[in-house]
Amino acid sequence: MPTTLNPVEVKDPDLDEKTAEDRPWVVIVWNDPINLMSYVTLVLQKLFGYSLEKATELMLDVHEKGRAVVANGTHEQAEMHVFRLHEHGLWATMEHDA
Amino acid sequence: MARPRPPVYRVKDRYRLHIGDDELVLIRRLLDELRELLLSDADGTAPTSAMLTRLFPVAHPDDPELEDEYQRLMRVELVASKLKAIEAVEAVIDASATSIDEAQLTAFMQSINSIRLVLGTLLDVTDDPDAEVVTEHDDTAEYQLYGYLSWLLEWTVRAFSDE
Repeated sequence: MPTTLNPVEVKDPDLDEKTAEDRPWVVIVWNDPINLMSYVTLVLQKLFGYSLEKATELMLDVHEKGRAVVANGTHEQAEMHVFRLHEHGLWATMEHDA
Repeated sequence: MARPRPPVYRVKDRYRLHIGDDELVLIRRLLDELRELLLSDADGTAPTSAMLTRLFPVAHPDDPELEDEYQRLMRVELVASKLKAIEAVEAVIDASATSIDEAQLTAFMQSINSIRLVLGTLLDVTDDPDAEVVTEHDDTAEYQLYGYLSWLLEWTVRAFSDE
């Protein structure tokens, strides 16, 4: 009779088995023809604490590429970011990080 | 020759408003109209106009279920936030206050931008927002108003950015 147990393969639950809910969310600001570029830059600085350089870079991405990811986090965090961007009149959405 | 004073500027830790009485009356009237629009569909259940859609953008364009949840939880909060900002600006105007703090200037900026969003949507503005605004259409009162609000907002942003 064996005195030791055979090793049992234990499967790590994370990594490849993350549920959709676990994946981080990204917050996206979309280009629109009404919001001033200077205003968008200021709002990104104000809400996310970005430097002028970083906020300007993101604003230019929005302006030239049509969209930019401005923040990420849990569903709850992303939703709060979207809400605050909507408070300031920016066109923001959220989606799962690819 | 002295430079004309801007409509909004920073003085130490506060902000000065230098806006004429006629313009303040106009802004007060526009705030009333904005409030009326916000309250016309405060719970998000009425048919949505383009103007309201612009004030309350979709958060989850690809997921109707999550979007319903977002609107259910956040729409009322968003309306309340915008109404609170309107009230703060009205209080400043009614008190003829010319020196305001950061929270009041934030309310002013958000409200002016909300009016611009509504007006810009109404006018179907598609031009580069930082180009010479409305040069092709500046013969109409609505476009002139849009241009005025853009100018006012630009100075407000500059006041915030002043170190």
